[in-house]
Order: sequence, then structure tokens, then C-alpha cells
Amino acid sequence: MIQLNGIEVRFGDFTALKNINIHVKEGQFYTFLGPSGCGKTTTLRTITGFIEPAAGTVKVKGKDITHLPVEKRNIGMVFQNYALFPTMSVYENIAFGLRVKKVNKTEMDQRVKEMAAKVDLTEQQLARKVAELSGGQQQRVAIARALVNNPEIICLDEPLSNLDAKLRVQLREELKEMQAKFGITTVYVTHDQEEALTLSDCIAVFNKGFIEQIGTPNEIYSQSKTEFVCNFIGDINRLSPSTVSQIAAQTGRQFNPEASTYVRLERIHVNSTRDEGRAIFQGKVTGNEYFGLYIKYQLEFEGQTLKCIDKNDGRQYLRKGDTVEISIDPSDLMVY
Amino acid sequence: MQAVKIPLKTRLKRMTPGQIALTCVMGAVFIWFIFACMILPILNLLRNVFFDGGSLSLVSFQKLFKSSKAMKSLRNSFILAPTLSLTVGLVGISLVLITEYFDIKGSKVLRLGYMTTLIYGGVTLVSGYKFVYSNNGVLTTFLASIFPNMDKNWFTGYWAVLFTMTFSCTSNHMIFLRNAMRSVDFQTVEAARNMGASQWYILRRVVLPVLLPSLFAVTILTFITGLCAMSAPLMVGGTNFQTINPMIKQFADMTTTSAKSLAATLSLILGISTMILLAIMTAIERRGHYMSVSKVKTKIVKQKINNPVVSVLVHIYAYVLFIIYVIPVVLIVLFSLSDSSHISTRQLDFSTFSLQNYASLLQKTSSYRPFLVSICYSALAAVIVGLLVVVACRFIQKHRNSASGTALEYGLMLPWLLPSTMIALSLIMNYSQPRWYMFNRTLVATLVLLLIGYVIIKLPFTMRMTKAAFFGLDDALEDASKNLGAGEFYTFRRVIFPVLLPTVMAIAALNFNGLLTDYDMSAFLYSPAYPTLGVKIKSLTDEMGNSSDGVALTFVYAVLMMIISAIVLYLVYGRGGRDNIKE
Repeated sequence: MIQLNGIEVRFGDFTALKNINIHVKEGQFYTFLGPSGCGKTTTLRTITGFIEPAAGTVKVKGKDITHLPVEKRNIGMVFQNYALFPTMSVYENIAFGLRVKKVNKTEMDQRVKEMAAKVDLTEQQLARKVAELSGGQQQRVAIARALVNNPEIICLDEPLSNLDAKLRVQLREELKEMQAKFGITTVYVTHDQEEALTLSDCIAVFNKGFIEQIGTPNEIYSQSKTEFVCNFIGDINRLSPSTVSQIAAQTGRQFNPEASTYVRLERIHVNSTRDEGRAIFQGKVTGNEYFGLYIKYQLEFEGQTLKCIDKNDGRQYLRKGDTVEISIDPSDLMVY
Repeated sequence: MQAVKIPLKTRLKRMTPGQIALTCVMGAVFIWFIFACMILPILNLLRNVFFDGGSLSLVSFQKLFKSSKAMKSLRNSFILAPTLSLTVGLVGISLVLITEYFDIKGSKVLRLGYMTTLIYGGVTLVSGYKFVYSNNGVLTTFLASIFPNMDKNWFTGYWAVLFTMTFSCTSNHMIFLRNAMRSVDFQTVEAARNMGASQWYILRRVVLPVLLPSLFAVTILTFITGLCAMSAPLMVGGTNFQTINPMIKQFADMTTTSAKSLAATLSLILGISTMILLAIMTAIERRGHYMSVSKVKTKIVKQKINNPVVSVLVHIYAYVLFIIYVIPVVLIVLFSLSDSSHISTRQLDFSTFSLQNYASLLQKTSSYRPFLVSICYSALAAVIVGLLVVVACRFIQKHRNSASGTALEYGLMLPWLLPSTMIALSLIMNYSQPRWYMFNRTLVATLVLLLIGYVIIKLPFTMRMTKAAFFGLDDALEDASKNLGAGEFYTFRRVIFPVLLPTVMAIAALNFNGLLTDYDMSAFLYSPAYPTLGVKIKSLTDEMGNSSDGVALTFVYAVLMMIISAIVLYLVYGRGGRDNIKE
């Protein structure tokens, strides 16, 4: 559906994107994930046409749109702050694109109302000014405005970043449902790994204008290809060379103690039944943080500090100073 | 997101022929306006100063140094400006502390009184002060009845000018310094108190340093106002205290070339002084303002003055200031309702109050004409300057890093560096004869010249405010519109302009307000057949001792001006309009 081939974007002397190659399939929820300034929004704006690349091509359904002006691309976009026109009502905001295309009044009215109903906006809300709506309602208006023109693709630029935590989770779910309902190819930009993992069919992880890894959420999380991706996605422990050597000695597996070796928090087990092939250490609890759903412990053994999380099933609550048995499966280690 | 520079070729390719033609026409209009109305007249003025008979010469300066009148006016201006900065600074700071920092009884009423200069200034204010303090003024008449031997002409010369201007120039303090005071984070005051600092120490070491950048800026603006003083020295300066601007006017009114060149030289000195002062102000502005670093800033809580003696003294001081501010306004309103006999005797008799003076304004053409003339000029100038600047700012926004955008911005900001007298004089000198670039017309004594002058002097303020509004606009709105298929002009018309409209209207209203009683520019450029309100008030005030009808008319003008200004300010800054103007 969307093909970015060898995209390069420069701002003066600064190269913002270098050799970006992406293939988004039809109907896919594709996320650009990365820290601030990594180039994810620049890539999105290259697709929508706000930025013209210095090199490379942008193709939609095989048609080269690299130099097509933004207003002729028919790619819907939802902006970070929604960019709703403050002087217009909700109705006028949604109808804006149809008015530009000189759609006749009856059809426009019908399409606006249909789209409003699809995104759960009432007729009363259509008459209101956008400033009178809540954050969630504003997001729905922005989505309706982007979709009413029947675009082939919709791009969303961090649409949840300005909302509070609870609303963010709620709207994330609504967004996923809506995407499934419309079945539209979606390109989503976020710096929030949790958002990317829960929403996406495919994720491209950006860093300093390059793509570090493209894959499904599970691939990105469990088989991080680079040290950056491994560090960026989720919380993680870096193991000291002596710990790595001990794991190797206990399990008979070969590891390079000089390499950077990581293990995710939930892959470290505390006081669990002994499975074969796991390395076992005797350690001490040096801290705990209670999260309700789970408890995060800080552990120490032979000079190595580790963090781990334990499901809060009510059976075990460790206190500072408790002695524990820590087990690590060597196949959970990520080595770079 | 950094703007991406689209090559001119691509931009042209994307424009329709109509859009290209419109852009070319607008470009031509701006180039013509900047050159014909500003650059060429100023160059002509410089030529008058530096060239004599076709060759470079400093004769004008020699003449200036030889003219005792001119030198005296220069000296007076340079005495008035620093002393005025000092007195206005002291009064201005105390007004802000009284209304915003200390817990003073009745501070809301006091604030209203101190803010009267926002609706009542310039030539109207001077005429009000003259009515109270001049030789036949209310206060002087009252004092003379108690002290028959007192000098009735006490309110004239340097001290009278300084007194009048001190109380008329605190508007900047009441706007800018008050805003700065409101930006003080109260937690810093609490933190200082928590560490044992006294009230005076907190004021000196915590609060005033935050106000310093704004204070420097308003002090320089006051200094410039002092240098460029016009109506106060003219009306209460007497023969002994005339400053540069009244002298320029006097020389410009003479028919000899030599007098005109003296006027030009004086205006050049004024211009250079203004430029130097503005350069200093810009440097101070660049240093930036102190910003609160608190995550959650706390609103300032008014401080009780702990020492009872100091508290009483401050209250007395606050109310004395209040009386000085309010008395001329109250008297003007009351006397505008009195009949001519009571006006001439300066006696108030409530039983004779009527709206007769207001009715006679409407009955006499000579009375309402200046009013209409000023309203038409101000409205027209406000609309023209608004339109010009909106188009210019859009261009500058779209070409923010290009030479053409920068040139247009600098061109339109040029009047910021020049005193209005210099602009007026340059227009008179340049258009006293036909010029090909002004369609071979002589503009002096026509209606057009003052309109041009008004548009020019309002350009810098309008540019600064409108540009801030344009650049404060969320770029995503334009992106969203384009993403939905709208073109450049449609986006501007349907999305950008409606968002900016309240700001543009507010700026136009402030410009209208500012021009309504303008005297400085009008005195030079008005068409004799159509005197403006400022000119009319000035001439009526000069006759204050002779005609009580004239005085009544001045009061009616003043009251109407106050009402109009109050309405405009309410619409711009009052409830519902608070977001229109962002400094």
C-alpha cells in the first residue's frame, strides 16, 4: 500500500532521515516508534506531503506521489493537538474537506452525519464549537474530519500524547476498535512503547534518522535486534560480565562475557520452582515498589543489582532484607 | 518542526496564474509604499540637511548651533527627558506597588483612577490639566481666593511640563510593569520570607529584580516620550520652555528654506537620539525577561505593610496620587454639563447641569466637523494599516528565512526608528512639490498626506502585534487544512484569517483609539479645511481664558473621547476580549 524507498530528508546541513525503507500493507496498523527527534514524525510528514524528501520515493498503491502537493494526496491526518479549526463548529470542521471538494450540500450533510455517528458524536455535539468538547470528543472529531473524505490511508501523529493517563488508555482502545471497524491502512507515530505494542500490527523503531528494527510487537519486544531497541522497549537489566560467566558455567551455554547482555524484568523468577537449565543465584531483596497488579523488586547478589517484577497473586510479598533464590533462563538473555 | 524551504521554481509551478498576478501586484504595492511614503521622503530630508546647493555641507548644523532658540529647545529636551524618566519611574513603580503588591485599602478604586490616562491622554489631558492649574484654572482660582498675592501664572514652564507629563506618561507602567508584577511567582516571596527576609528586603532583592527588564524598557520609552514631547511644552511650557518638537513645528511653519532646513536638522537629531535609545532597549529586551522556573506558578498575594506608620504614609501617598489623576477627569465631566457662565467663573452649580453643550456640538458644523474628520481619518488609517500588515505578515510568515520576507519586515518597521515629527516633516518637505512616484501630485494641504502619516506611524505597533499573532498560530491548522485538500488562499481565507480576526480587530481598535486625538502628526499634516480633533482641542485650549463656549466644547470632546476610548479598551482588554492581544 505505502512504499518508502531510500527516503532521505535534510534540514539545511542536518540530515533528519537517511535511507528509510518501509512497506506498509493494506489495512495494516503500522507504528513509527522512537524517542523525540528520531525522525518518526518527519517520515510521517513525508508520506502526507508536508515534507519533500531530498532523495527517495513515496509510493501509494504503486503510484509515485513523492512530488504531489499535500492537498492532492487524499491521505487523512490526525494531528498531535488535533488542529481543529477553533472558529468553526464540529459540523463545519468535519465538513471542511467536503466543502473544499465542492460536494453538494445534501451529500455533504449526509456524509458528515454518517461519519459523526460512526465515531459516536451526537447531532447536538455537531452544532457545538470544538472548544466546548472534551479531549476524547475532540479526538473523535479529528478522526471523523480525517476520514470523511474517504482517504486510502490515515496518519496519526501522537494523537494521545496530550491526554491524561486514564483517558489515554481508554482512547487507545477506542482507536483500535475504530481502525478495525473502518479497516483503513493506518500509520501511527508515538514515542510510547506501550501504545505501540498494544495497537500495532507492525512497528518500525526509529533512532537518529535511521530505522533500527521493523517487526511485529512480539518480535520487537522479545527479539530486539539492536541494543538500542532492547533498551528502548520496556524496562531491562544489564548483566555484569561475572554474572554472565556464572550463567554460562551453571547452564553449560556459551556467552561472550565482554558483550552487552540483557534480560527483561519479567524473565527473572524469584523463589519459583526449579526448572532444569536455569541458572540459580542466592540474593537479597534491597527494595520493593508496590504497583497493585504486580510488585517490582530490587535484588542484589554478588555485586550485581537486578530489577524484577512478580505477579501480585497474594502468595508472596517480599520485604527488604529477605533472602531469595533468583533464577534466570539463559535463552531469555539478549546479547549484543 | 523546522520549515522546509521549497524552491521558488516549485512554488511558482504550484501557483495559478491569478495567484502569481496577485502576488506581483501586492509586491509592487509594498515596494511603492515603502519607497514613496518612507524611504524617499527621509532621503529628501537628509539631502536638505547635508546638501547645500548640490554639494555636501554642514551649513544646517552651523545654523542650528547659531540659533539660540533651537539650541535652547535642544537643551530643554535633554533636561526634560531624563528628569521625566525619573519622575515617571518613581510614580509608575509606586502605582504598580500600590495596586498589585501592597495591601492598600480601596486599591480597586485607586487602580481605576490611575488608569484614567489610558482613556484620556495627549492634548486632551494637557487641556484638562490647564483647566485645573493654569492662571484661570479651577485650583488656581480657588487658591487665589485664599492667597490673593500668589502668582497666578505659576503653572507654566519646565515644572508645569514635568508635572503634566509625569502623570500622563504612566500608562506604560500600568500596562507593562503591572504585567511583569503579575508574573512574579509568589512562592519566591514565600521562600524568601521562610528564610527570614524582611518585607523591604524581599521587595528589593526578590520582587524588583524581576521587574527590572520591563522597568528599563518603559524608562527608555519614557525618555523617548520626553525627547519627543509636543503638546505639553506647547500648551503649558510658556515662552521659556519649548522643546525640540514644538521648535520643529515653529520652524516648519515658516516659509524660508533656511527655517525648513533647521527644522529638518532638529528632526534628524531627534531621530538619531531615538535610534540610539531604541538600540539600547532592544539590547535589554534581548537579554530577556526573568521567567518563573516553578512547575506551578503561584499568583501574588498582596502584602500587608507591617509598620503602621509606613502603612498610613503609603495610604496617604496613594490617595494623593489618586486625587491628582482623577480631579481633571471629574472636573471635565462635571463642567461639560455646566453652562458657559459657570465655566467662565469656574464655579459648579448642579442645578444648572444640562446636556446643552453636547447638543450644541451636534448643531454646529464647525464643532462636529473635527470630530467627524478624526473619526474618519482614524478609522480609515486603522483599516488600511490593518490590511497592509495582515498581507505583509502572511508573506513574512511564508518567507520567514528569505531575503524578500526580511526586507519587507524591516521596511515596514522603519517608522519605529523615527519620531513622528521627523516622518511628518519628511512628508511635507518631499510632497510640497509634485513627484513622479506619487503620480505627479503635490500632497501638502491635501487630505491624503495626513492619512499617509497616520498609516506610517501605526505600522510598527501593528506589525509587532500582528506578527506575534501570526507566529503564535498553530502551524498544524494550516497543515490540517491543506491535508483536507484546501489550497493556499482558501486556507488563509477560511482557516487562518478567522482565527486571527479578533486580534486584528483589537489592534485596529487600539490604533483607532490612539489616532483619534493625535496632535503631533496632525499639527504638521492636516488639511486646513479639515482640522482634526487634536488640532481643534489645541486651538480651543489656547483660547481657554477668552471663550467659555470653546472650553465647554473642549470638555464635550474630551468626555466623548473618554467614552470611546473606554469602550474600545473594554472590548480589547475587558471581559471576553482578554485573549485578543498577547504581548
